[in-house]
Amino acid sequence: MHLLAQDLVNGILAGGILAVVALGFSLVWGIMNIINLAHGAYIMLGAYVTYQLFASFHVDPFLSLPVSFVVLFALGYLIQRYIINWVARAPVLTTFLLTFGLSLLLVNIALLIWTGDTRGVTPPYSGTNFTLAGITIPWVKLYTLGAALAITAAMQIWLTRSKTGRAIRATSMDIGAAQLTGVRVTQIYAIVYGLGAGLAGVAGTLVSLSYSLNPTMGQPFLIKAFVVCVLGGLGSVEGALVGGLTYGIVEAFASQIDFTIGSQHVSGTGLQDAVALIVLLIVLIVRPTGIMGRATA
Amino acid sequence: MMFRRTAALGALVLCTTLTAPIAPVSAAGDTIVFGSPVSLTGSLTKEGHLTQEGYEFWKDYVNSHGGIKVGSKSYKVEIKYYDDESKPATAAQLAERLIDQDHVNFILGPYGSGTAFTVAQMVERKKIPMVEGNGAAEKIFSQGFRYTFGVLSPARRYLEGVLEMATKQKPRPQTVAITAASDAFSQEVAQGAADWAAAHGLKVVYNNKYPDTATDVSSIVSALKATNPDIILNAGHLQDALLVQKGLKEQNVSAKIYGYSVGPDTPDFTNTLGKDANGVYGGAQWSEAVKYKGDPGFYRTAREYAEAFDKVYHHRPDYHDAESTATCLAFQYAIEKAGSLEPEKVRNALTKLDQVTFYGILKFDSRGLNVFKPMVVNQIQNQKLVTVWPSGLAAAPPKYPTPPWGER
Repeated sequence: MHLLAQDLVNGILAGGILAVVALGFSLVWGIMNIINLAHGAYIMLGAYVTYQLFASFHVDPFLSLPVSFVVLFALGYLIQRYIINWVARAPVLTTFLLTFGLSLLLVNIALLIWTGDTRGVTPPYSGTNFTLAGITIPWVKLYTLGAALAITAAMQIWLTRSKTGRAIRATSMDIGAAQLTGVRVTQIYAIVYGLGAGLAGVAGTLVSLSYSLNPTMGQPFLIKAFVVCVLGGLGSVEGALVGGLTYGIVEAFASQIDFTIGSQHVSGTGLQDAVALIVLLIVLIVRPTGIMGRATA
Repeated sequence: MMFRRTAALGALVLCTTLTAPIAPVSAAGDTIVFGSPVSLTGSLTKEGHLTQEGYEFWKDYVNSHGGIKVGSKSYKVEIKYYDDESKPATAAQLAERLIDQDHVNFILGPYGSGTAFTVAQMVERKKIPMVEGNGAAEKIFSQGFRYTFGVLSPARRYLEGVLEMATKQKPRPQTVAITAASDAFSQEVAQGAADWAAAHGLKVVYNNKYPDTATDVSSIVSALKATNPDIILNAGHLQDALLVQKGLKEQNVSAKIYGYSVGPDTPDFTNTLGKDANGVYGGAQWSEAVKYKGDPGFYRTAREYAEAFDKVYHHRPDYHDAESTATCLAFQYAIEKAGSLEPEKVRNALTKLDQVTFYGILKFDSRGLNVFKPMVVNQIQNQKLVTVWPSGLAAAPPKYPTPPWGER
């Protein structure tokens, strides 16, 4: 019982980060219909922004959040405006290949700059923890969860209240109608892609506190972002949040599966990915649009 | 969805076929050409570069000392590399290209068990000998391959040394918890450790695996903590070793011994964790402290090797560098013994090889596996790697038990 409570906490703490990992990916996919395979590379770059500020200027990782956001937003905005925009209307395979190529390019540039060495961001409070009713909670992960929730809330408010946010949502609902009301779609697309990259940068900062850095670190997060955003429903903030938390909790509980059939020992810890994907499959059968997703026309 | 999946597969296939650049190689009459697919990009970049350093260091030594003697003629050495992007399937294709198009004489192994396995299948088909020093999974050597030789101690041995050392400490630890990544190498390491523990009166209280792509292991750490083990072992690779070690601190898990198959021996482990790395043990193929007196033909002691290496690459060699250099030495001695560059003759000479080097003994059993060289155990003390076992080679005694997290 105590272990189950600990797992629930572990799952929520991990799921909060996954929500931010998936958020930018989900917006870009849902609004622009681009499956952005460079998302993992942006996460990696965000992590290195944090690392560099931490290593060179002793900037606290949480204070570098806005920096990773701005740097990656600018990069994403320019990439969309001057590269992806050329193929915006091309079939999905074209953007797929383009973003895959971008990802390879960014990873290899990172290899040139930072080499393949593994690095870590370890502020003084890294690894410290407290115990509450027998459940151990690491401070870093709690702060990270807090930051993740704040970021998703801010995104949600911005998308629903601000003029640009509303223009973004209008574009995703009906691109033609949005253009008729004076929305500049090229501009909006560049902002959305920039936002996707910026959020990936923020996610990179958050994961750098618990995961180690090297230029290829983004790959597993790209795969998780994919699952989380399909699980929660594409293109929405609440979808990413619900998807992330679901994934985190399911993965944590999967580690408790432990039984023996005949001489075959089955253990959930090796099957965490499989269990999470089975849940994804069930969700897709019962609710093909994801848990929070809406059917599109 | 279906279309998107096809697109994804298409993209992947495209990317794997558009691999490394093609450059002609001069298989000149007085040069022995080795070929190696090695991970210069991708997830094993770091280890791939260490492998290449080990090879290049040997090549430069041999070429500046008159080359390899084959019969009465001396040959210079050349090594042709292709980047396998850390992908086993790509490595096999590149090995084929090295053999068929570049006409290399022999293959120096790639980095990693998965990659070594696919390349072993290729060299078997082409009947070109390969010596490898970076794939320790016994799976590679249980297929009846005739052309693959490994200079490493097998995977099963990686953590045996840590356990053996543990049983000699007072108070003697009683229980062991094992976590392992799901890849073949790590699974063999974990199995070897579990078997050794059971056979020597240690109780295995936890033994579980996690996916090798895991980005969070906190639930595994929680479950492990509940068993309150004296010894915690991890069979994995650098990235997950770091994840486990951080997780153990985050959840305040204290044990008497923390042992890792891979991780502590790379400087990145200490650089990343700082003080939190102190007290941790790692099984290692080699360390600077080993006291072998090698046969003539190369640097004869670990110390000489390390110092010369440091002058060229500006860092001390770790065991990846050393085992890669040892890979080349196996060929050097075998070619000289064979007195020929014919693949079959060199292969036969490799089966009979029995040399002592700075790295340890180079000798293969009937499967091509070097079961004759023991592993060493290193401990991180004051953020430096110190060899602590076997006691005959130890530079310092183990600091036992590892102090609690706040006091490292």
